[in-house]
Amino acid sequence: MNKTLFVVILFILAVVLSLLVGPAQLNNQILQLRISRAVLGIFAGGILAFCGGILQGLFGNPLVEPYTLGAASGAALGGSIGVLVFGTVSPFLAFLGASGVGFFVYTIARLEGGLFRDRLILAGVVMSFLCSSLVMIIMVMGGKELYEILYLLMGYLGIIINTTNRILIIFLIIISLATVIFLYRFHRELDIISQGMETAAGLGIDIQKFSLIIFFATSLIIGFTVSIVGAIGFVGLIIPHIARLLFGPKHLYNLPASFILGGTFLLLADTLSRIITVYELPVGVVTSLIGVPFFIYLYKK
Amino acid sequence: MRCIRAIILFLITINLFNCSKKNNTKSLRIVSLSPAMTEIIFALGGEHYLVGTTTFCTYPEAAKKTYKVGDFSHPSLERILAQKPSLVVVNPPEQNHIIRELKKLKIPLFISQPRCIEDIYKEISEIGHIIKKEDQADSLVNFMKNNLKPIKKDKIKTVYVELSSRPLITVGQKSFLNELISLTGGKNIFTDIKKAYPIVTQEEIIRRNPDIVILLHPGNIKDRLGWQKLEAVKRKQVYKNLNPDILLRPGPRLVQGYNKLKKILSE
Repeated sequence: MNKTLFVVILFILAVVLSLLVGPAQLNNQILQLRISRAVLGIFAGGILAFCGGILQGLFGNPLVEPYTLGAASGAALGGSIGVLVFGTVSPFLAFLGASGVGFFVYTIARLEGGLFRDRLILAGVVMSFLCSSLVMIIMVMGGKELYEILYLLMGYLGIIINTTNRILIIFLIIISLATVIFLYRFHRELDIISQGMETAAGLGIDIQKFSLIIFFATSLIIGFTVSIVGAIGFVGLIIPHIARLLFGPKHLYNLPASFILGGTFLLLADTLSRIITVYELPVGVVTSLIGVPFFIYLYKK
Repeated sequence: MRCIRAIILFLITINLFNCSKKNNTKSLRIVSLSPAMTEIIFALGGEHYLVGTTTFCTYPEAAKKTYKVGDFSHPSLERILAQKPSLVVVNPPEQNHIIRELKKLKIPLFISQPRCIEDIYKEISEIGHIIKKEDQADSLVNFMKNNLKPIKKDKIKTVYVELSSRPLITVGQKSFLNELISLTGGKNIFTDIKKAYPIVTQEEIIRRNPDIVILLHPGNIKDRLGWQKLEAVKRKQVYKNLNPDILLRPGPRLVQGYNKLKKILSE
């Protein structure tokens, strides 16, 4: 239980740091701004890592990340179209893009028989490629829009907290808490499936139905998260590995750990991105820059 | 560096002068990949020499009807060549790739890279010479010089300009707007950043607490968390929806931008 304490202390440390450290003098207004940003960071990081953990468990594949099933590239496409049409990234269009791609992935995966679970990955990867090339076309056509799309692709927590974004963040918290609690109830099934499909089928788990539920639930919250903060990389891929390294293969323990560690990690990365330069770095750049050496160190241990 | 650039520019221009002396202006066919230069050529009355522009060249109205060779950063080499230009006006560094190709094909280039308002005057005179509109060029330069005089203010107001809200893009030292703001007696809060269009953090803007906020996009800052205690918001000095072209484009319309800024800074 030492590890639990360590994770909790790390989390509190990250929160305190993100509230206290920054270029501006701490006053009431700045504190409000930092609290909103910290909440966004905790939930975005938490959701990405949690979904990453679930999907890696379901597919039994350590390279699966929240974006493999196409939600991120769909959101990026929707957001980019928003940049072209309205001149700014629209979270609504981004979410529409994510849902649209989710629907296509589902339809492609259902086209023929066979195991739905395995066809999902292929459909997701194919749709991601399609969306990426469409986004590239928009980027090539754009001028200053390029930056907006780039920050959507790299992830950006420094969004302005205006009325629209405030409502979106509250929605994000409600939807993600509900979905996370709903998905967490399947931890035992996930344990069994990651041990092997035959075992799972033998124990009477309906893998088709189970994959379908997980696909829809994760696509929903990932699409929503990406629409707000962009496709922050690394967190959803590597944090579940770190959680498994620390807490073992049981999803009962490693899923909550993924959530907390994901939030912690994104907060730390965001605090860094805020203080290194007067420029705002996309937080996705920082997550990979500090995450990779940390992961190698941990893996060696 | 600046000196070397000036020399290179000078050599290129001399080269161009020679070209234009050899060919008379009747055979002059200009493709302008620079929206500002397109405006200047129109202002000098040389638009009949223009055989191609970019989709960004939207001013004056007639410029929209010229043959388009692509957008600002991705003009099509084939479309340029199809117009058989005797001179291509280019804007480094965004167009470096196309400049390389055009150089290989030995097509004469006019490299437009103004760093300050003084450079714009020089370029106007140069292009005026090429299209044999020296008198018009002189009067345009004089008009701009007379209308872009530095204003001294007792109290210098600080200005924050926002080009985009996600991410927050502003103007730095290397933009014309920075120079225009100091010319009209104000101070850009990010004048210490050496880039032209840096991406900055919200906290940094709040810390620097500008007296005036200028938004060059349709958004507003009324409901932004953390922004309500800014001097600019308290004193209602937030200006929305200005036309970015009159403030950012190094052409004749900077005079309009200057007047707009002058009005804003004296309110």
